[in-house]
Amino acid sequence: MTKSRSDLLRGTLDMLILKALVLERMHGLGISRRLEQITDGVFQVQPGSLFPALHRLEQEGWIIGTWGESENKRRAKFYELTAAGKRQLGEEKQNWSNVVVAISKVLDATS
Amino acid sequence: MPILPRIASTFRSIFRKEMIEKELDQELESYVDHLTDRKIKEGLSPAEALRQARMELGGTEQVKQKVRERSLGSGLDTLLLDIRFTLRNIRNHPGFTFTVVLILAIGIGANTALFSSVNAVLLRSVPFGDSEQLIVGRKTNEGRITGAVSRLDYYDYRDHNKTFDHLAALLNGSYPRVVMINDTPQLLNAGMVTWNLLSVLGVAPAAGRDFLPQDDLAEGSTVAMISYRTWQTQFGASRDAIGSTVSFDGTPFTIVGVMPHDFRFLYDHDVWTLIDRSGQIDMQRDAHSLLVVGRMRSGVTLEQAQGDADTISAGLQQEYPDTNADKALNLTGMHDYMVRNVRSSLTMLMATTVLVLLIACGNVAGLLLARGQRRLPEMAMRAALGAPRNRLIRQLLTESLFITMLAGLAGIAVAHAFRVLLLNLLPIGAVGIAPPTLDASSLIFAFGISIVTALLVGIVPALRATTVGPARQIVSGARVSEGVQSARLRSGLVVMQVAGSILLLIGSALLIRSLGQLSHVNLGFDSENLLTARIQIQQTDYETPEERHQFFSSLMERISAMPGVVSATTITKLPILNPWQDWPVWPADQPRPSNTERQFAMARWTTPNYFDTIGIQLLRGRDISVDDLPQSQRVVVLSESTVEALFPDQDPIGKYVGIGWDEEPWRVIGVVSEARLNRITDVPNGAMYMPSAQLGASILRLAVKTTGKPMALVGPIRETIRQLDANAILSEEASMTSILDAELASFRIVILSIGLFSAIALMLTAIGLYGVLAYHIAQRFREIGIRMALGAEPASLVRRYVFRGLALVGSGLLLGVLSAFPCSKLMADLLFGIEPFDPASFISAFAFLTIVGIVACLIPALRATRVNPAQILREQ
Repeated sequence: MTKSRSDLLRGTLDMLILKALVLERMHGLGISRRLEQITDGVFQVQPGSLFPALHRLEQEGWIIGTWGESENKRRAKFYELTAAGKRQLGEEKQNWSNVVVAISKVLDATS
Repeated sequence: MPILPRIASTFRSIFRKEMIEKELDQELESYVDHLTDRKIKEGLSPAEALRQARMELGGTEQVKQKVRERSLGSGLDTLLLDIRFTLRNIRNHPGFTFTVVLILAIGIGANTALFSSVNAVLLRSVPFGDSEQLIVGRKTNEGRITGAVSRLDYYDYRDHNKTFDHLAALLNGSYPRVVMINDTPQLLNAGMVTWNLLSVLGVAPAAGRDFLPQDDLAEGSTVAMISYRTWQTQFGASRDAIGSTVSFDGTPFTIVGVMPHDFRFLYDHDVWTLIDRSGQIDMQRDAHSLLVVGRMRSGVTLEQAQGDADTISAGLQQEYPDTNADKALNLTGMHDYMVRNVRSSLTMLMATTVLVLLIACGNVAGLLLARGQRRLPEMAMRAALGAPRNRLIRQLLTESLFITMLAGLAGIAVAHAFRVLLLNLLPIGAVGIAPPTLDASSLIFAFGISIVTALLVGIVPALRATTVGPARQIVSGARVSEGVQSARLRSGLVVMQVAGSILLLIGSALLIRSLGQLSHVNLGFDSENLLTARIQIQQTDYETPEERHQFFSSLMERISAMPGVVSATTITKLPILNPWQDWPVWPADQPRPSNTERQFAMARWTTPNYFDTIGIQLLRGRDISVDDLPQSQRVVVLSESTVEALFPDQDPIGKYVGIGWDEEPWRVIGVVSEARLNRITDVPNGAMYMPSAQLGASILRLAVKTTGKPMALVGPIRETIRQLDANAILSEEASMTSILDAELASFRIVILSIGLFSAIALMLTAIGLYGVLAYHIAQRFREIGIRMALGAEPASLVRRYVFRGLALVGSGLLLGVLSAFPCSKLMADLLFGIEPFDPASFISAFAFLTIVGIVACLIPALRATRVNPAQILREQ
């Protein structure tokens, strides 16, 4: 499946968010911090990209958000994966592998 | 993702928007709070932590905008928003909207009206199956199309061709005949065809049967087909009609079939019979009377068929050098043939309406540009609040689209008015095609044109209104430079409008001059106070030529004696109304010349006093007299040009000529001046006039010179005829002037339409010019005030600004006149008596537009002088 450039970037972010939510539910800031941690600071997701992605994933039904209390005793909206989301993650992972293989082939080509 | 949740999500995002927005607000606030907490933990002060956290967020509105953009249903969302916004704008500025809608409605309406005509006539195909394979064949001489084909030639084409399924022929015309149906005389239009015409057209009869080949073989076959309408009105649509008998001129015909409902081919015929084979004259190879109609075999192209016909023509030229030496058959697609007369008028009218629409778009674009200027601050603010540029552009385009759609709707009403007032008067119906209506395709066209218009007028103003970035917008300096660019664009638009208008004006002027030439052309006869009509007597009541002659002579005596009548006469064919019928004529002491050397003249048969009545001058010799009887010496009066051709520099009186196809010579007894017998636009034709007594015609055209109004005598004349013979039929009463007027009618309609459109275009251009100049002056009120305070004369100011406006007009004129040269060449076949580059037309159009331009410039310029310098200076 071919995607446009921005689609590719957005799709990657969607996949990363879904992955981040596999283990536990988190709120917006938490997700962006987790991603930063795991990638040793390489991926710093701005709110301008994060919230549209979260909102969209919620609309698609892959994550679901509920208001709750955070560790700072503040209100925050926590997101968690749905069953459909888990399936989607699997799919996205497969797509990503295909893309990686394809890129490698291009880079390894000798002429 | 499954469809249902997606739809649900979309609806949710539309209907529960407020709640979603609030939730998003809270979520973003929570994000900032958490981030602040973290930064405090990292050691920053609370205030600093908050500030940094806010900065990292990047602006609540911006983030919210990004979320909005990416959520499902955002497209629909923004569209609804845009529409709401547009409606609010319209409500706040009703005047602007009304103006724009009005201007565009006129342009769109005119185009839609023209399109419905063009569609019906030029684009739609002939209503017979597989119509691309239908062709019409006409005779050519030396390559020029000269008209009807002879019967014997037709048989050869029919029997020897390899490319046609069927080749049929018909007598080109509609012949009113008195038909006895159930013992009552009815006046019906008769058409005469070959047996296979319906096969060519691919049409099956509604009842009964079609003509068969056998019907065409018998001598003077006596079968007929009637039209559906005749079947209904005369026979009550009963099956008994098949097999019943009707009679024409005493001959009984058996009805064998009924044409389909609404069948119409070139003419409105009520009854069809097979071409009368007993006419002696038609058995001559060079008696031409038929129009050939054919259906090419499927897969055959016109070029192939033409090649086939050319081969046959070549063969005929070899075999019959006397009659076929330079003759050939030209094949034309049936559709092209049917529209040949109206095609150029319609195309020109269409071009005109497109120009009008473009000019109207120019005005609206100018208005939108000006309004865009005024809204720059508003756009700046919206951009600052996070609206991306193409969102703003999209909103502006939605606005222009909405307004143009309104204009499109209004335009349909305008189109209807145009059609009813003007286009229904175009003689399109005569072509054999149903008159145009505003149907689905016209509506689709109106819709399409509205969209194109919206883009045309909306794009550039939308782009201009959103160019400058937010910060710069609010600073007034940037606004000024924007204003300059915008003003330049508007000036450019005005120049284009002027160019378009001058094109239209030149076109109108050329046509008006042509009409003037046409109206005053010397016809060669006097059309004033001339009553014309058609008189037909029953052939069965008057068997011999002598009896018929007797009737018409006594009728002429009686009519001439009536009060109000100067003189009365009859003729077989009146000028202009009944054209053609040219026969060969040659000096009798020479052998009959071959086809190429032959001289032709219009053959006419008259009773005495024809030339007096119609105003043709008798130059030498005598008129036809009462003594020229059926059994006496055959005599003929020739026109000047015929005499010049046959007997150059000799006195023709007393000489003998051969006419037509028989051997007995005719004696020349008189010479008359030339007259235009065919179309007003044709040059005068050579003619020969023979006594109708010697022809024995039963149908003649009446011409009566009256002292007063011609039509007033119709009643008395009808009564006189009735007294002489109750079975005689008087029809087609009309004054000669009304006949000539009718000839020019379509020309007048075209001129009226173009004149109207030119006036509209000129008005729009003047308004545009006024607008640009007024704006220019308004921008310079301060400068004007200073100049006046320093002692400048108002007159010099007025002159200055008028010149500035005229500079625009001048550029437009130059552009327009240059494009007028190729364009008027295209109009050439619509013109009469004048060149495409007629100086008088160009100059008058030029002058007219300049005057209008000056007035349009004077108004704002004069207003400039009313500026109160003291007040202006005070305002600084």
